[in-house]
Amino acid sequence: MKESVLKRMKDLPSSHLLGAGTPMCAGCGGLEALHEIYDQVGAKSVFVNAAGCMTLLATYPFTPFRGSWLYTAMASAPAGAQGVRDALDILIDSGRLPPDEDLATVVLTGDGAAYGMGLSATSGAIERGLDFLYICYDNEGYANTGQQASAATPHGAQTSTTTLGYAGYKKDLFGIWAAHRPTYVATVIGAEPLDLARKVQKAMSLAGPRLILALAPCPTGWDFDPQYTADVGRLAVQTGIWPLKEYVGGEVVHTKAPKQRLPVEEYLRLQGRYAHLFEAGGQAGLIDEIQARVDAYWDGVER
Amino acid sequence: MSRELLTGNGAAAWGARLARADYVPAFPITPQTEIIETLGQWIDAGDMPGRMVTLESEHSVLTAAGAAAATGVRVFTATSSQGLLYAMEMLYTVAGWRVPFVLVNVSRGLAAPVTLESDHNDIMAARDSGFLQIHCATCQEVLDGVLMAYRLAEDERVRLPAIVNLDGFYLSFTREPVDIPDPAAVDRFLPGFDPENLAFRASQPISQAVAVLGGSPYSYFRYETHLAALNALHTYADIAQDFAAEFGRSYEAVENYHADDADIVFVMLGSFATKARDAVDRLRASGERVGLLRPRVYRPFPADDMRRLLAGKRAAIVVDQNLSVGKGGVLHAELASVLYGIPKAPAALLSFVGGLGGRDISAEEFFEMVTVARQAIADGVTPPPRLLYTEDELRELRKLQAVAEVERRELGGKR
Amino acid sequence: MYRIRFHGRGGQGMKTASRILGSAFFRAGYEVQDAPRYGAERRGAPIFAYVRAAREPINERGVIAEPDLVIVADESLVGIAAAGVCQGLSERSVLLINSHEDVATWTHRLNLAGPVLVLPAREAVADRAELPFAGTACAGAAAVLVGVIPRDGLEAAVREELGSLPQQVIDQNVAVALHAYDEMRDHAGLVREAPTRSAKDYEPPAWLEPVFEDARHSAPAIHAAATSVQVRTGLWRTLRPVIDYDRCNKCWWVCSTFCPDSCISVTDDGVPEIDYDHCKGCMICVAKCPPHAIGAIPETDARDAALTGEPS
Repeated sequence: MKESVLKRMKDLPSSHLLGAGTPMCAGCGGLEALHEIYDQVGAKSVFVNAAGCMTLLATYPFTPFRGSWLYTAMASAPAGAQGVRDALDILIDSGRLPPDEDLATVVLTGDGAAYGMGLSATSGAIERGLDFLYICYDNEGYANTGQQASAATPHGAQTSTTTLGYAGYKKDLFGIWAAHRPTYVATVIGAEPLDLARKVQKAMSLAGPRLILALAPCPTGWDFDPQYTADVGRLAVQTGIWPLKEYVGGEVVHTKAPKQRLPVEEYLRLQGRYAHLFEAGGQAGLIDEIQARVDAYWDGVER
Repeated sequence: MSRELLTGNGAAAWGARLARADYVPAFPITPQTEIIETLGQWIDAGDMPGRMVTLESEHSVLTAAGAAAATGVRVFTATSSQGLLYAMEMLYTVAGWRVPFVLVNVSRGLAAPVTLESDHNDIMAARDSGFLQIHCATCQEVLDGVLMAYRLAEDERVRLPAIVNLDGFYLSFTREPVDIPDPAAVDRFLPGFDPENLAFRASQPISQAVAVLGGSPYSYFRYETHLAALNALHTYADIAQDFAAEFGRSYEAVENYHADDADIVFVMLGSFATKARDAVDRLRASGERVGLLRPRVYRPFPADDMRRLLAGKRAAIVVDQNLSVGKGGVLHAELASVLYGIPKAPAALLSFVGGLGGRDISAEEFFEMVTVARQAIADGVTPPPRLLYTEDELRELRKLQAVAEVERRELGGKR
Repeated sequence: MYRIRFHGRGGQGMKTASRILGSAFFRAGYEVQDAPRYGAERRGAPIFAYVRAAREPINERGVIAEPDLVIVADESLVGIAAAGVCQGLSERSVLLINSHEDVATWTHRLNLAGPVLVLPAREAVADRAELPFAGTACAGAAAVLVGVIPRDGLEAAVREELGSLPQQVIDQNVAVALHAYDEMRDHAGLVREAPTRSAKDYEPPAWLEPVFEDARHSAPAIHAAATSVQVRTGLWRTLRPVIDYDRCNKCWWVCSTFCPDSCISVTDDGVPEIDYDHCKGCMICVAKCPPHAIGAIPETDARDAALTGEPS
């Protein structure tokens, strides 16, 4: 593993590999993260995609990728990556492909696939030690179909299927991955580009199963003005709701722990999906509960 | 070349080995397991250079298979029944990718109720997916079918994945003498995989399997898949000729067993068709002009062959080892659609559904079907479709029902 | 065409027997079909395998309904109706039983129209599920009875089918097969190919059209509890656990707790009782009994007469 040469924001690229012209929503936090990630992954890659918002990134005959792409299905992108990786290895090992034609195998899915339908295929790929990078853009719902609740939806958030607020609790995908003891797991967010770039760079320097889990503020699904995508993202970190951390070598390290956490209210208030928490006679107690959960998480980290 | 006793599963594995399959993504399911066990043992022992990986589901197996083919290697896999249906989304998907590889399906009835034994509802469910289908009647055909399926799937006039189908138990676990061809001869018949422009390469960016917006491009891409499948008919004829020249065994798209001079013809798929051959022999010995037609290639459907071969017959007896619930036998319906309106179509097109869940079909039942057909010809009335099922079977079933419903009876429930 | 069925218990090598005979036929220039019949049953349960052999390609498939020869590796199966040993036997079918008893006894007992032969069983074994060489012996006997398989062809077939085993084991099996072959030589060729039955004057199948029955009855649901007790898995048992009540110390019913099949009940006084209708003979109780109060005896010894077939 090489140490990052990214010391400051100015070390980040000012021109970007991912092409413009995609059908993603204006202000998409997932695309913001993806284009930052792609700068570090590079064009010598094949993105194996699962059904989600980003299915439409490559829509005949348009693709934003300078490298390669394969769309599979919602449940099985990691199996697609397995097939590509194994085939490349077979071709290189048998001398049918020069090694410099090799590609990084990358899975790209939303939270619907990553937390739910695709979890079995993901678990299998990690268990087999597949050499791949898994990118999840987590917009906390089935956003492509209109933001229905998914296993990544946070407690209390309104979605189009949970109009009173989601009763469940966001699944801990980081923990699920870490329990498999893969090479690398990290949370990132597009609004913290230096932290993101360092983590992707580190992931790219490693072999084996690696997850980059990006919280993807979604103006459409979370109901905020697109201009605030980066602000919502910063607040997710500063309130402690989205801990930036990495798992490597059996250890979890928080890479950007807020020194003084802002109240969660400041994050929630920006988003229409939490508006019901702020209404008179609304569910004010829920804000306290969300705050208490965040505090309890960080108490555990700081102890 | 050597002639050995092989099970249908063993023959399938030999097909993959002789085809020099590079990659075998796999998931076990009865009655397919012996195929992947055999390949795994060969690979472990260094007898076969491929790579095998066990995935977590058939859905993943088909995804990995398609993805590896899209990267440019020769892929083999096998499944059965529930596994084929679990993978169904990916069957349609990878066919749309236009990637060639071979999937062996060991036919087994579908749940519910769960069964391990053979019928064709699983393979029929894959009928419209874009996979080509070759149906085998003997263990020899399984081996040969795998080799031919690669040629067909990889042909530039086609380039679609192909299924080679064999019946569970009746072929999968049954040994028969099989000619295992000489590898050099196989290499002449089936050269190494030319992936054409299928590849993922650092120097050549490609986006495969992308979305479309709107019905117009969708229609184009999907219909091109259909045209490719139709091309597979004449392509198959060429390949069958090459195969016969190399190995001395000829496999027309439709097996014609004494059908030319017959006035009544059985139409069947798969290994049970050999039972029909046996019945044909015995009926002919007693003076009946009876024959058998067995579509070996089922997708694409050999419509012209069937029209030609059935023209002028008095009756066709279709025995479907499947059941489209709410409609009936699938082969019967397909045959009716290709015969409708043609001059000299058989006056009577009889439908029998039999062999569901591995239920045997006796020689007497074949004889009786001919008797029924003769009656239909004489009366000018085709009888309604019939399930092959006897009074004895119902009597046995009633005994089981009595056990299953005992508690309710004890509680005074109404039957 | 020759149609031959092998009956035995799971573990007695019936699949191997069918394969050896299949290979031997094949070496003698025959077209062959051989297959085991797998069910849900396991070790010790009655199973069968079959072989067809003919000079021309074989179109018949599936289970053999009308055998020319039936070979029973385990005499305790003959009396068990569920094993189906006598199914389809006619006056021209030969029945060969691997047995300690003589032909006269079996002939008298079974009262069959066709010939009955006995292949003298080798040494008695405690656990019949491990009946050594039963499959090989049966294949050897079958090979001579059909009369078209030379002795060296049989040997080659045994060596081919057992090729993955250690050399010494293969040699032992060859010796057993050839011994059986020689032992039955007097009956060489007794089994004849059945003539092909004509399509004329066939017995029409008694077809019926199933009628609609509502889903309360026609869905695959069991409206009852623990009906599996009607399945007598005691038939699988080749060794019988027997409790020595003098030694039983009425512990915390270790035997009952570990018995996977719920076959050991304990009385109010703490006395365990074994349900022999269902005990499969796994012997976990024997292994786990703290005071070693449970012993194992061969099931055949335990039965009054093998022919009654019912576990006591």
